[in-house]
Amino acid sequence: MGAGHWLGSAFLATWLAASVRLSGPVLLAALGEIFAERSGVLNVGIEGTILLGALASYLAAYASGDVWLALLAGAAGGVLSGVLLAWMYVTIRASQVVAGIVFNVLAVGLAGTLYRLALGASAAPQTVAMFEPLRFPLLSGLPVLGPVLFSHAAPLYLAFALVPAAHFVLFRTGFGLALRAAGENPKAADNAGISVARMRYAGTLISGTAAGMSGGYVVLAEVGLFRETIVSGQGFIALAIVILGRWRPWTAALAAVAFGAADALQLSLQLFGAGLPPQLLLSLPYVLTILAISGLFGRSAAQPAALMQPYAPR
Amino acid sequence: MPPPWSNERASDKDRSNLAVNPQGPPFLEMRGIVKRFPGVLANNGVTLAVGHGEIHALLGENGAGKSTLMQILYGFHQRDAGDILIEGRPARIESPKQAIALGIGMVHQEFMLVHSMTVVENAVLGLNLSIRRLLDLKRAAAALQALSDRHGLAVDPHAVVGHLPVGAQQRVEIIKLLYRDVRLLILDEPTAVLTPQEKDGLFAVLRRLARDGRSVVIVTHKLHEIMEVADRVTVMRDGRVAASVRTSETSPRGLARLMVGRDVALRADKQAVARGPAVLRVENLAARDAAGETRLHGLSLDLHAGEILGIAGVDGNGQAQLAQALMQLCPVTSGRVWIGGQDVTRLSPAGRRAAGMAYVPADRRHVGSVAELSMIDNAALGTQARRARAGGLIRDEGADRGFAKALAARFSVRAAHLGQPAGTLSGGNLQKLVLGREMMREPAILIVEQPTRGLDAGAVEAVWGELLAARAGGMAVLLISADLEEILNLADRIAVMSGGRIAGTLPAAHASAERLGLMMAGAPAPDAQPLAAVEASA
Repeated sequence: MGAGHWLGSAFLATWLAASVRLSGPVLLAALGEIFAERSGVLNVGIEGTILLGALASYLAAYASGDVWLALLAGAAGGVLSGVLLAWMYVTIRASQVVAGIVFNVLAVGLAGTLYRLALGASAAPQTVAMFEPLRFPLLSGLPVLGPVLFSHAAPLYLAFALVPAAHFVLFRTGFGLALRAAGENPKAADNAGISVARMRYAGTLISGTAAGMSGGYVVLAEVGLFRETIVSGQGFIALAIVILGRWRPWTAALAAVAFGAADALQLSLQLFGAGLPPQLLLSLPYVLTILAISGLFGRSAAQPAALMQPYAPR
Repeated sequence: MPPPWSNERASDKDRSNLAVNPQGPPFLEMRGIVKRFPGVLANNGVTLAVGHGEIHALLGENGAGKSTLMQILYGFHQRDAGDILIEGRPARIESPKQAIALGIGMVHQEFMLVHSMTVVENAVLGLNLSIRRLLDLKRAAAALQALSDRHGLAVDPHAVVGHLPVGAQQRVEIIKLLYRDVRLLILDEPTAVLTPQEKDGLFAVLRRLARDGRSVVIVTHKLHEIMEVADRVTVMRDGRVAASVRTSETSPRGLARLMVGRDVALRADKQAVARGPAVLRVENLAARDAAGETRLHGLSLDLHAGEILGIAGVDGNGQAQLAQALMQLCPVTSGRVWIGGQDVTRLSPAGRRAAGMAYVPADRRHVGSVAELSMIDNAALGTQARRARAGGLIRDEGADRGFAKALAARFSVRAAHLGQPAGTLSGGNLQKLVLGREMMREPAILIVEQPTRGLDAGAVEAVWGELLAARAGGMAVLLISADLEEILNLADRIAVMSGGRIAGTLPAAHASAERLGLMMAGAPAPDAQPLAAVEASA
C-alpha cells in the first residue's frame, strides 16, 4: 500500500480499533488512581505496580495457561504493591512523590530478578496464552464499527464497564463521600468520625489492584510476553489521564481514549508508512503526558485540596 | 429580603423562667476535673454545670485551661481525675464520636467543613461509611431544610459550602450538629470571624436553641458579648475556676478582674498628638495571594506622622495582602508606594526597611521570629550588620547581647535568660520582643498586623501602651486588626476594608462598632467620607 492512501478507510478502521484497544490498560490504571487521589494520595507508584502486575500475570499464565487466573494474579500482585505503597504513604507519611518513584525503581529491579529466577537466566522469551478477541454475532461484522467496537478482548470491556461503577461508588455511596472528604479536608473528615488512614489505605489499594490488572491486561491481551520495558510509562500516562479527566471517571475515559488514539496513531502511521520519523511519532503520548502533568494548563480547582498532604491525626 | 434571623433579637433578654426543671439535674456537670500535660497542670479541680436551655459562657485568658476543659468534654483529651455527668448519669467520653452520641457537639474556631461539597454532603459526612449503603441525599436535604426553618438558620442544603460567606458556614456547622440531634453545643470563639451584624444573627440563633431546651457553651474572652448573650458565666484562671456567676449579677469590669486577678484598664489612655506630614502614600495598590488570586483591588491611602490609622475588617478581606504588599512580600500587580517623597514602588523588602518601614506580622511565631534561634539572635535580626566588626563581616556578639538586653529591659520582655530560644517565650513576651526589635530601629512607618491576637490582658495593655508611645514620638502607625475594640481604642482614623477595597474612612471620633460593622459587611456607609474630605476636616 502506498503512502498516498494512508487516510483511507482501512487506515481509519485500524487506527480507531487500535485507539480503543490501547486505551484499555491506561484507563484501568487511571480509574484506580482516581480513588487514590480522591483520598489524598498521589500514587506515583502505579508505574511499578503495573510492571509487577504484568509479571505476576505472565508467570501465572506461564504456569497455568488460564488467562482469567492470570488476570487475577496480576490484581493480587497489585494488591501486594499497594500494601507496601500505602504503608509508606499513610503510615510512614513519607513524601508521596519520593516514595512512589523509589518504588518504581525497586519494581524494575525486582521484576527482572524474579523473572530470571523463575525462568532461568538464559531462557529465550516464551509467549503465554492470551485473551482471544470476542466475537459478537452480526455486530462484529459491521464495517468500521465492527473492528472498532466489537472485536476486542474481554478485559477491555471490563475496563469500560468499571467506569460507571467507579462513578457510582465515588458519588453515590457513603464510602465514596468519606473517601472524597479524606482527600479534600482530612481534618474535617477526622472530626466527622472518618478514619483518614483507612480511607487512604482503601484508595491506594484500589489503585494498586487496578494497576496490577492493567499490567495483566498488557501481557494477556496485547503482548503475550514479559520484558522489564513492557510498561514503558503507562503509569505516568494514567496520572496524566486523571488530571485531564478532572478526577472523574467518565471524563477520564474520554482522556484515556484520546491517549489511546495518540498511541495508535503512531503505530498506524508507521504501519502505513506516512513518511514521518517514527521517533517523533513514538514520543507523542509522552509529550501529551508531560504537558498534562506539568501544570502548564494551570492548576485545576477539581484537584483534591489535600492531595499529597500526609495527615497526622491530632 | 433579610434572613429570618436578622430582625429577631430584641425580645428576650429574660430567659430565667424557661424550660429548666429546677428539681432535675442539670444537663451537664463536670466535677473536680484534673488534667496534667508534661510540665503543666492545665485543669486543677475544675467544676462546671450547664443547665437545660442555658447559654453558658466560659471565660478566661489564653492558657487558663478553658480549651483543655472543652477538649476533655468533647473527647479529644482524657481527664486524669474527676467526673462527667450527663443528665445526672456518669459518662465516659473517649472520642468525639462518643461525645456526639451523648448529645455533645462542638463548633471549632477553625470550621471542619469540606469546601468543595454541598451543605447536605457535609451534614451526612461520616454518618454512613458503608459501600453498600447508598446516600439518600434527598431525604437528608429535606431534614436539613426543616431544621433550618425551625431554628431560623437560613441555610440552603444544596449550596456548595465553599461559596458561602463565613457567617453562613458557621450556621452550617451548627446545622450539622442539630442534624445529629446534639443537646449541648460548644462554640469556640464563635464571633472572631463575624461582623457585628453577623454576631447579632448568631446570638439570635443561640437564643432560639436555648428556648428549644438545648444548652450552649461559648468559649470566649470578649466580656461585652458574654454580658449580651449568656445566662451564666464561669471564669477560669490558672487552671481553676475563679468564679461562676449569673451575668445579671456581674459587670464587664467585675469579670475582667476575675479573669486577670487584678483591676485592668479596658480602655487605652490616648493623649492628643498633633498630626505631622504624610509619610506614606499608597496609590491604587493591587496584589495577589500565594495561590494567585487577586486579594487587593486598587487600594489607596495616606498615613501621617504621629497618627494611628486603623484598618478594620473581617479577617480575609485583603488586610494580610495589604501589609505584605506594602513590604513587597507578595506579588504586587499594580500601584505605587511613596515613603516621604521617595518612590519605593520598585524597592525590595530590604530597600523598604532601609527607607524607614517596619513590619510586625500577624504570625509572630513563624514569620515574625525564628523559633529555634535565641532571643539574642532574634533581637539582632535585621540590624546585626550595624553592630558588626571588620566592615560587616564578623558579628559582634557582645554588642548583640547588649542590644538584646536593652530591648528586653525597655519593652519588659520576661524570659529565663537571653539565650532562651524565642519559640519558648509566651505569646505576650514574644510579641514584645518582635515589636521592640522593630521599634528600636526607629522607623518612620510601623505596620502592625493583629498585634494583640491571642495575648492575655496584661500583654494587651503593654502592646497598646507601646503603640501609643510610638505615635506620641511621631511615628506613623498602620494598625491592621480584626479586633474592633482595639481599633476604636487606638486609632485616630479608621479605614474599613471589605473585599480587597477600602469601603470607607472615618475619623475615630465619628466611629462606632455598629457603623463600622455595616461597612465591614460591604454596605456603603451612608455618609462615609472620601479620604480627602476626612483629611480636610481633621
